[in-house]
Amino acid sequence: MTSITKKLALAAAVVAAPFAVATSAVAEGEKYVLVSHAPDSDSWWNTIKNGIALAGDQMGVEVEYRNPPTGDLADMARIIEQAAASGPNGIITTLSDYDVLSGPIRAAVDSGVDVIIMNSGTPDQAREVGALMYVGQPEYDAGYAAGLRAKGDGVGSFLCVNHYISSPSSTERCTGFADGLGVELGDQMIDSGQDPAEIKNRVLAYLNANPDTDAVLTLGPTSADPTLLALDENGMAGDIYFGTFDLGEEIVKGIKAGVINWGIDQQPFLQAYLPVVVLTNYHRYGVLPGNNINSGPGFVTADGLEKVEEFAGEYR
Amino acid sequence: MTSATQPTANSDERVKEISSFRNALIRPELGGIVGTVAVFTFFLLFAFDSGMFNSQGIMNWSQISAQFMIIAVGACLLMIAGEFDLSVGSMIGFAGMLIAIFSVTLGWPVWLAIIVTFAIAVSIGALNGFIVVRTGLPSFIVTLAFLFILRGFAIYLPQTIERKTIIGGVSDVAEGDWLAAVFGGKIFTGFFQWMGDNGIIAVFERGTRKGQPVVEGLPMLIVWAIGLVIVGHIILTKTKFGNWIFAAGGDSEAARNSGVPVNKVKILMFMFTAFCATVLAVCQVMEFGSAGADRGLLKEFEAIIAVVIGGALLTGGYGSVIGAALGALIFGVVQQGLFFAGVESSLFRVFLGLILLGAVILNTYIRRIITGER
Amino acid sequence: MDPEHAPLIQMKNIEKHFGRVIALAGVSVDIFPGECHCLLGDNGAGKSTFIKTMSGVHKPTKGEIRFEGKEMHFADPRDAISAGIATVHQHLAMIPLMSVSRNFFMGNEPVKKVGPMKFFDHDYANKVTMDEMRKMGINLRGPDQAVGTLSGGERQTVAIARAVHFGAKVLILDEPTSALGVRQTANVLATIDKVRKQGVAVVFITHNVRHAMAVGDRFTVLNRGQTLGTSQRGQITPDELQDMMAGGQELVALEGSLGGTV
Repeated sequence: MTSITKKLALAAAVVAAPFAVATSAVAEGEKYVLVSHAPDSDSWWNTIKNGIALAGDQMGVEVEYRNPPTGDLADMARIIEQAAASGPNGIITTLSDYDVLSGPIRAAVDSGVDVIIMNSGTPDQAREVGALMYVGQPEYDAGYAAGLRAKGDGVGSFLCVNHYISSPSSTERCTGFADGLGVELGDQMIDSGQDPAEIKNRVLAYLNANPDTDAVLTLGPTSADPTLLALDENGMAGDIYFGTFDLGEEIVKGIKAGVINWGIDQQPFLQAYLPVVVLTNYHRYGVLPGNNINSGPGFVTADGLEKVEEFAGEYR
Repeated sequence: MTSATQPTANSDERVKEISSFRNALIRPELGGIVGTVAVFTFFLLFAFDSGMFNSQGIMNWSQISAQFMIIAVGACLLMIAGEFDLSVGSMIGFAGMLIAIFSVTLGWPVWLAIIVTFAIAVSIGALNGFIVVRTGLPSFIVTLAFLFILRGFAIYLPQTIERKTIIGGVSDVAEGDWLAAVFGGKIFTGFFQWMGDNGIIAVFERGTRKGQPVVEGLPMLIVWAIGLVIVGHIILTKTKFGNWIFAAGGDSEAARNSGVPVNKVKILMFMFTAFCATVLAVCQVMEFGSAGADRGLLKEFEAIIAVVIGGALLTGGYGSVIGAALGALIFGVVQQGLFFAGVESSLFRVFLGLILLGAVILNTYIRRIITGER
Repeated sequence: MDPEHAPLIQMKNIEKHFGRVIALAGVSVDIFPGECHCLLGDNGAGKSTFIKTMSGVHKPTKGEIRFEGKEMHFADPRDAISAGIATVHQHLAMIPLMSVSRNFFMGNEPVKKVGPMKFFDHDYANKVTMDEMRKMGINLRGPDQAVGTLSGGERQTVAIARAVHFGAKVLILDEPTSALGVRQTANVLATIDKVRKQGVAVVFITHNVRHAMAVGDRFTVLNRGQTLGTSQRGQITPDELQDMMAGGQELVALEGSLGGTV
């Protein structure tokens, strides 16, 4: 039975007849659940979904993507507990707040589920909760590296457009950047919210009030896309130094057009794809890489954009 | 009518006699009971061996349901009293943040932080209520304002004080605190250990907790939920004050004419709603050891949905705490159960919408039978 | 009616001004126990202002209210209620979503103590409600039947029974029959009759002369904030009352053109 028809059958059964003949929800092969901290509105995680789906297809395993709809980390802790209760072979999860998530992750590990930490968190934290490894880009380090690069380009002040301020990793990126520049973060970070129009107007307002700002740092497509529009509108596009975390279609266009100087690619595809491959091989053949895997940072500039352009928003 | 002994009987002969069986069945909670049975039947059929009904799985959806229940009790009584509180979700984030700031940043003892937080939260509830009854503005608008105000503070305060939006380390300072254990602790741990030892529930296979049961006890979160449901139910149905709650929401003018202190009732219900939100906030902070600015996002709607699934009338004057608790249970079981049943998680909202619609239609039908609305 | 009785309420030269508007310009009415005193008047005649003054909602600008011979100054409706003056409003009396028994005891809930806790005494409330309703000739399915399932006349009856049960000496009925059908009106009028026989003074506000004539012992007509006097039953015809309400001549002409149906 294909998964679509299964879902339809389930949907129909819920609505009409709870007593319909049960279909088996258990598929062949290993089962892995990826839990993220991202709210539904964050489109960046699409790459992750595609990444695990591809890995699942290629390895012949069942994969599932789960996230707290509103981004509430307390909800995420419950999702991890739930994933553990369903008895998968492995859980791949972000560790965006150690306090909240370490308990449920450790309980999952202790009850016999193998865990890989991806995306947020640090290698140290991953080791502490008993995860097999960490796959991702340490956020502070990435911010710091970007800060150093910008300092070399003569940047002395910046605006950090933070669209997910409630997650500590976002602040780490901004703090790292500020430290790389060698300046205080201070009021240079704004809480932009997730709404494009609001983000755009807040950026405009900030730049209007602080016209001497050297650079803009956005933390992903959610904040970068509206910022591009804002810079278009106030005429700073191409003039102000613009760096961003993560890639997306508009960001790639921006890099190509010379509005964005660089994008920090943490290569989310690898963060989703590699854990599935690693876990599957570990469970099938007992082989495990000996170290954490850094999926980033890689700086994407106007040179060599072709592949990025082709797969932006899908696998890049 | 059947009674012929009353010569002056002037009841409307067009009202059909209802059998006592049907009469006993037709209750405000009926929709919730039917829904609960349907939902459990469904998941027992489709997700029985998926881990949903092992000890961890049961604990998982029980905790989710308990969270909904805690805020649904407050929302239910408030809705019956004729008002809404949209600031519940923000209150969860705000209250949690206050506890973390008081205990971690300011270094107060945790019990004091909890008590002061309750005092502040309940005062804000009173302020909500006071503004609503004084201005006569719809509570929808007033509490919407507080939704933003409280969320704003929940982000601003830690951002200003600690330069981050999550304050951790509460677990460390709460170690051994008597009041913290009332919210974040677990009870019956001996019983669960016994069940683990005897193979009734699973035990950890490895790590530092090898041999301990995977569910180590009944979380206080669930105890609070059950306690609040019982207290709420008794207040609503068995006390004088409960009658005032119904009266205030049914028709505040008529209630005032009969000497019911409507304003007092409403303000107290706003305070109780804030209290419930704070209970959840404290339980979360004590369990997870940190407070986050985004805690409780959209929880106000989830509370209202649970209450409405449970048969309460949005416009007030009608509803049941037991119904709201069942609504919360349905909500939690469906939200968690779909995953176990292997349904794509993004379809959750579709199911929620269908359940909400079905429940409201059924409840409206039941209510019309009971109250003679047309 | 027993004229030897001392009046229960004496309203003497009541004036009520709202800013420059003189709503009541010196109205005097006596209410006796066990009588049904009909207060008639067209819309805007001052009926509402007058009964609101009597029930403590408004304070009179001038004039004197004597209750059981003593001068009274009601601070608010609760004062009047506790003195024994109950008002049954046309629409705002009952809460349809609540059961009859809950409505009956709304604001006067009986409590029983269980240890330190006080609980709503449902058993007592249900028993009293069923008894009182039976006395008024209403057979309930049960005390938990919602008021919404009752007819408009039955609701008025419940409200009246409630006021009497809680010791009302004076019952002010504000247009209880205006929204009712013929049969339900008859029921309410029958209820008024029962209550009057229990010795309660009933102040029956209406603008329907036929309803007034059906149960009234005495009739006071208000017109433009003044009384045109109080008449005994049998001393006045419906037509005369109708004329007094409308202020005379115009209606006679109008009535002629409508064939005497008003």
